[in-house]
Amino acid sequence: MSANSASISASSAGPKKSLKTFGDDIWKNKTAKINAELFTLTYGSIVSQLCTDFERDFKKVNSQLYAMGYNIGVRLIEDFLARTALPRCDSLAQTSEVISKCAFKIFLNVTPQVGNWSNNKDAFSLFLDENPLSDFVELPMDAAKELWYSNILCGVLRGALEMVQMDCDVWFVNDVLRGGQSTEMRVKLNRIMKDEIPAGED
Amino acid sequence: MGDSGLASEVNEHQRLQLQFQLFQESLPKVDETIYRMLLNEAVPLAISVEKSLTHHKEDATGQLEAELDSKLALESQQGDASHKLLKDYLAADQDQQTRIKTRLENIGFQLGQKLSQLLIFSNNPNLSFKDMDLLSVMKFVCRDVWKQVFGKQIDNLKTNHRGTFYLLDYNYKPIEPFTLEEDLSDQEQKLIEPFLHVPCGMIRGVLASLGFEKEGQVTCQATLVDPPDSKQAGAGTFTKSVSFNVQVLVGR
Amino acid sequence: MAIYSFWIFDRHLGNCIFDREWTLKSNQSSGTTNSKLNEDTAKLLYGMVFSLRSISQKLSGEGSHNEIRTISTGKYRAHILCTASGLWFVLLSDLKQEDLSHVLRYLYSEIYVKTVVHNWFSPVDFAESDSEKRGQGFRKIRNRNFLASVERFLGPMVN
Repeated sequence: MSANSASISASSAGPKKSLKTFGDDIWKNKTAKINAELFTLTYGSIVSQLCTDFERDFKKVNSQLYAMGYNIGVRLIEDFLARTALPRCDSLAQTSEVISKCAFKIFLNVTPQVGNWSNNKDAFSLFLDENPLSDFVELPMDAAKELWYSNILCGVLRGALEMVQMDCDVWFVNDVLRGGQSTEMRVKLNRIMKDEIPAGED
Repeated sequence: MGDSGLASEVNEHQRLQLQFQLFQESLPKVDETIYRMLLNEAVPLAISVEKSLTHHKEDATGQLEAELDSKLALESQQGDASHKLLKDYLAADQDQQTRIKTRLENIGFQLGQKLSQLLIFSNNPNLSFKDMDLLSVMKFVCRDVWKQVFGKQIDNLKTNHRGTFYLLDYNYKPIEPFTLEEDLSDQEQKLIEPFLHVPCGMIRGVLASLGFEKEGQVTCQATLVDPPDSKQAGAGTFTKSVSFNVQVLVGR
Repeated sequence: MAIYSFWIFDRHLGNCIFDREWTLKSNQSSGTTNSKLNEDTAKLLYGMVFSLRSISQKLSGEGSHNEIRTISTGKYRAHILCTASGLWFVLLSDLKQEDLSHVLRYLYSEIYVKTVVHNWFSPVDFAESDSEKRGQGFRKIRNRNFLASVERFLGPMVN
């Protein structure tokens, strides 16, 4: 159990460049792939059905997409960790890099930009230039006012982050589908969930 | 003389094949795992929607609406875990189960329609939609559609040439890892049912987009079957074999 | 090879969600699975790993995750894999086995992920209420794919 600080910090997730290479490499070599268009069509069918089910009450559709994403996220995180063997992140900044360069890359083959950090560094935005969920999708007028088409992504991130002890709020701020300039998701860290102490140890 | 003509025909076909393959490989891709998870989570989703619609009817005060409006509702949006919702499915009554089934089949139907449009316009040299009879359409489902969606083709197609088809997938991937404890195999069978509604709807959707769209013309049911002896999985694989039984009313 | 037992603890610290102990080297189907008899051992094992892990992280200083890999005693070695999601996979073996990290990786990515995470019939969170956290949980991984995969993989390593 030697405690060589220098070698330890060098071996933890290194500079940004290596995370990108790492993510790219896993995408290229350790990922079974399907056509993105199939994914888009399937997701579109699901959203469409929800709009019918909830009689175009888009707030409910948003909510349901979020819940669906959460259930996927709590499973997806294990798949992600098993494939990448990444340890817990040291900071929210590192987390944002891992989300952008590894998670989005490996699963969706896109690399959203990280930006718009809050003053106390507890929140950031992900800017999606490309979004396989919504390729070629056009929203009708009523949906364009209230529907966050890709809200499933917020649920996925929330669920995944919760499993690594980060209690975060995740929500859409802007979406090109709604006429916005960009597609922007916001991630705000509420608290790090302290590892539970076993009963009897405190 | 005749030989070289045939040879150049074959070469042309090969060239188109190669071109098509390269085209397919150049298309944007996503990870297969998230696709599988999206398909699978559609089932708990359908159950959760059913629960939500039922509650809403029962809730006279409209309290549910108010809840959803506030941002604090982000937490309540989490809902129930996937496996819990599946247990709820077992407890649901016949009407609810039927509505859940319809919901999932609709998703599959839409997917099937859109997917066949996509594949029709993909310049696949193996497909010719001009003279597609029912059998050709079914072969299209077995080969091209199944390959796109599940990464493999249907293993066996049986037909009585009078509108009844059995599409046999001896290793239906999406449900392969689904098991319960040893002594709950009855429950397992029942719980697998809803996971087969989307592919059934998809088959009907493809058929509808290729001319078989009359109301009630196509029905599709899926059942678990035992794989034939030759395909018996080696010790330690847990494949699930599914038979998709498609009935098409022809004529008139 | 000589593996003695296999344990999985989840992030609700102290909850052992799977245990498999082999009692006879000569018989890979001997021993217990998810047995109440192992509860005390599980708590001790958990406590040992928890304490050493938390001390070693303090020793290596702020902002780095230094994970314990093995703990050796005069009679056995414990091999540990801690995931960022709070799962601990633990193997107890004889001293001849110096590094079973590849075995643990396989148990995680090829067995746990495939038969628990990708299995919609199985929970991924084995504590269904607050009273089942902090070591008070009792639910175990029991699905037959998981159990059979563990037997098939670890069985041959028992002797």
